[in-house]
Amino acid sequence: MILGLSHNAQWVLASTLILGMAAGVVGCLAYWKRQSLMSDALSHAALPGVIIGFVLAGSKNMPVMILGAAVSALLGAMMIQWIRTSSRVKEDAAMGMVLSVFFGLGIMLLTWVNRMPGGNQSGLDSFIFGQAASMVREDVYTMAITALLILAVSLIGYKEWKLYLFDPAFAKGVGLSRATMNVIYIVLLVVVIVIGIQAVGVILMAALLIMPSVSARYWTHSFGWMMVLSAVFGGVSGLAGTWISTMGQGWPTGPFIVIAAAALFVLSLSFGMRKGLLVIALQHRAQRKKLSGTAMSSSAVQRGGWG
Amino acid sequence: MDPVLQVNQLNASYRKNKVLTDVQFQIAPGTLTGIIGPNGAGKSTLLKVLLELHPRLSGTVSFFGTTYAKAKSRIGYVPQRGTVDWDFPTNALDVVMMGLYGKIGWLRWPTRKHRELALQALNEMGMADYAERQISQLSGGQQQRVFLARALVQDADLYFLDEPLAGVDAATERAIMNTLKLLKEQGKTVLVVHHDLQTVADYFDHVFMLNRTVVAHGPTADVFHQNNIYRTYGGTIRWMGEKSG
Amino acid sequence: MKKNERSRRRLYAAVWLIGAMLIVSACGAGIEEKAGVDAKGKLTIMTTIAQIADPIAVIGGERVEVNSLMGPGVDPHLFTATQGDIQKLQEADMIFYNGLGLEINMVQVFEQIGKDRPVLAVGDGIAEDALLHDEEGAIDPHIWFEIDLWQQALTAATEQMKEASPDDAAYFDANKEQYFAEMNRLKDEAEAKMAHIPEGKRVLVTAHDAFGYFGRMLDLDVIGLQGLSTDAEIGLTDIEETIAILTEHQVPAVFVESSINPESINAVIEGAAAAGLDVQLGGELFSDAMGAAGTEEGTYLGMYAHNVNTIAQALGDGEE
Repeated sequence: MILGLSHNAQWVLASTLILGMAAGVVGCLAYWKRQSLMSDALSHAALPGVIIGFVLAGSKNMPVMILGAAVSALLGAMMIQWIRTSSRVKEDAAMGMVLSVFFGLGIMLLTWVNRMPGGNQSGLDSFIFGQAASMVREDVYTMAITALLILAVSLIGYKEWKLYLFDPAFAKGVGLSRATMNVIYIVLLVVVIVIGIQAVGVILMAALLIMPSVSARYWTHSFGWMMVLSAVFGGVSGLAGTWISTMGQGWPTGPFIVIAAAALFVLSLSFGMRKGLLVIALQHRAQRKKLSGTAMSSSAVQRGGWG
Repeated sequence: MDPVLQVNQLNASYRKNKVLTDVQFQIAPGTLTGIIGPNGAGKSTLLKVLLELHPRLSGTVSFFGTTYAKAKSRIGYVPQRGTVDWDFPTNALDVVMMGLYGKIGWLRWPTRKHRELALQALNEMGMADYAERQISQLSGGQQQRVFLARALVQDADLYFLDEPLAGVDAATERAIMNTLKLLKEQGKTVLVVHHDLQTVADYFDHVFMLNRTVVAHGPTADVFHQNNIYRTYGGTIRWMGEKSG
Repeated sequence: MKKNERSRRRLYAAVWLIGAMLIVSACGAGIEEKAGVDAKGKLTIMTTIAQIADPIAVIGGERVEVNSLMGPGVDPHLFTATQGDIQKLQEADMIFYNGLGLEINMVQVFEQIGKDRPVLAVGDGIAEDALLHDEEGAIDPHIWFEIDLWQQALTAATEQMKEASPDDAAYFDANKEQYFAEMNRLKDEAEAKMAHIPEGKRVLVTAHDAFGYFGRMLDLDVIGLQGLSTDAEIGLTDIEETIAILTEHQVPAVFVESSINPESINAVIEGAAAAGLDVQLGGELFSDAMGAAGTEEGTYLGMYAHNVNTIAQALGDGEE
């Protein structure tokens, strides 16, 4: 027993920690691909797949529902791609369209399924809002394997990711296939989404993907460190959020993870060593002081009108 | 001598507009060629199609007598500066090292030797002091030099540069053109998409005039005159140079 | 050209006219019909949950046609009516629902429909002090699990039916007496079976607080993971507290419900197992919904008996 925590608490803490780390790393990739909204779009796009998986498998068959989520999210990704290439619609509009249409379809299917004679439907709702508290040992293993996979892919291909995200056109010239990297990226994104929506739900998953990497940006000028910090912030959000949710009676875990991530963001925004507001304000003040110290005449200084 | 680049009947479109029609030309080795033409003439598209960054409708392209795929390692590319997000968290040295990724090998880590090669290229462009500087803190001219250093480090035989002198300061412009002339002296071939007609005669020994199709191509002295300029630019400019005819 | 102008204008006019007609006819279809006995002479009754529909079908016999909106496995706490459902409700002569906050998403629909036909919340007539409340004061709506209360509810419904069809009053009453006799028999059997459960193990742990009245009637402590309604997310503390209670009482079994996902109960079982307590999955109980139509468990009596047997077997000491 760790720190006197129950086994359930340990499992949930471990799951959300690992999930947070994986989501942080993948979110960092999505951030530099300028596709943070994609995380949100694909999370929402997974919903109809979950429900269809449920309908096909007849009862609450987790692997089938997860597969359904993955297929649905991938279809969403393909649809976004198709809209972008075959029409004049811009990327963010395409993502918004796919997000709302797929999610709407999912809600419609949910209403339909809620009326079907066949048990255990309200379990589907847990995919929308998440049910982190029900994580068990098996889930920890699943999360761990997935996270390991994601970390491995990110680490081994570190310089490839850097090149692909910075200058994909040049990458092609040096022999790095843009299409291959794009596929790997989408797979990573879909995998982390599909694993994560069980814990935090479809709606909040994007927060876990976006916020840690945005927070990390304020602390470093290095892509490598940004990935590391994203993982750290994501993991801390998972841990902190889960821990806070244990303090109250029946507090839901998912939303508190998001609040923890948001708190980290506000801290980073304010105090980040590289681009934080405080640091920038201090730098400004130091520069103004320097200016006034050297360029001004002594009379101006005497008048005390500067600084 | 065999041409380093041979293009036959190349056709391409960009967003439903036919941008390149029956483009046919060849580039001789050791030449420094400026590609000029009005906006929308297809200059950037031509580069992208040649480098297989953009699909072609028809036509053939051969580099050094073989396909692009086989010749890739001998080709260097400097894209337009605006195609990249300069806010990306990396420094100048890192960017130059990207040019070596093909040689480092996939999924391997760069060695000290690679680092030195990169530093050397930066030095050639006068940017050695900026190796650790964040690229977001570089001026336009400095960014362009980093890009060129990245291409140099590839040690290619054929270089494509897309508007490398756009929006750079005079010192950078000089530095870049010196480097290109140096490459030519080493026997490399260089093609540059260029925007400033005033400097064509000074910078390039060959000129390639494009307006959706090849208007003229050949040694600058022979080809770069008022008639051809009018034909390329559709009479939208007035040539104030000495040559005419 | 003048000819084209005229024909175009005629086209527009035709389109508008057809559009207007469609709108008006759609409104017309929404106009409710008066309550009363229909052409075949049968009373058409719609209910929300099948726990009402099944007994009413027996009580009404051949003189009524009863249907329920929610089938087996459907969760009434989450159920929202679609246009098709409202259509069905509007075609019925009268409507019975549980009330007391069970079908919370349908309150407005009932208010609307109640303007033209009798809509009765069968739980409304029950005395305030007979009802159970949770810690926050919310009323526990799962009254069908207490035989006495449910008989009160069914009586209220029967009175409504007698009002609409006075000629059948005697028929309804006779059926009702017979059905109530079976319900009483069921109650005796349940009490007998539950008596076999040893004192310390009289704890019923399920996914949500549906069995309050069941527990009161049969003297069991009832713990639901999720509270009175299924729309709240289960928190870690809920699971941990449940495990604590299970450990304290050494309860041998917990139960899943047919209309709720078993994930949370599984988490309880695994957590308890990791703490050294061997808790079994006692079986599936019918809480908010009944079994499949046409089966024993699809009837109110059958469903109730199934629950009793499942619980007695899992918690009992094996004697009959």
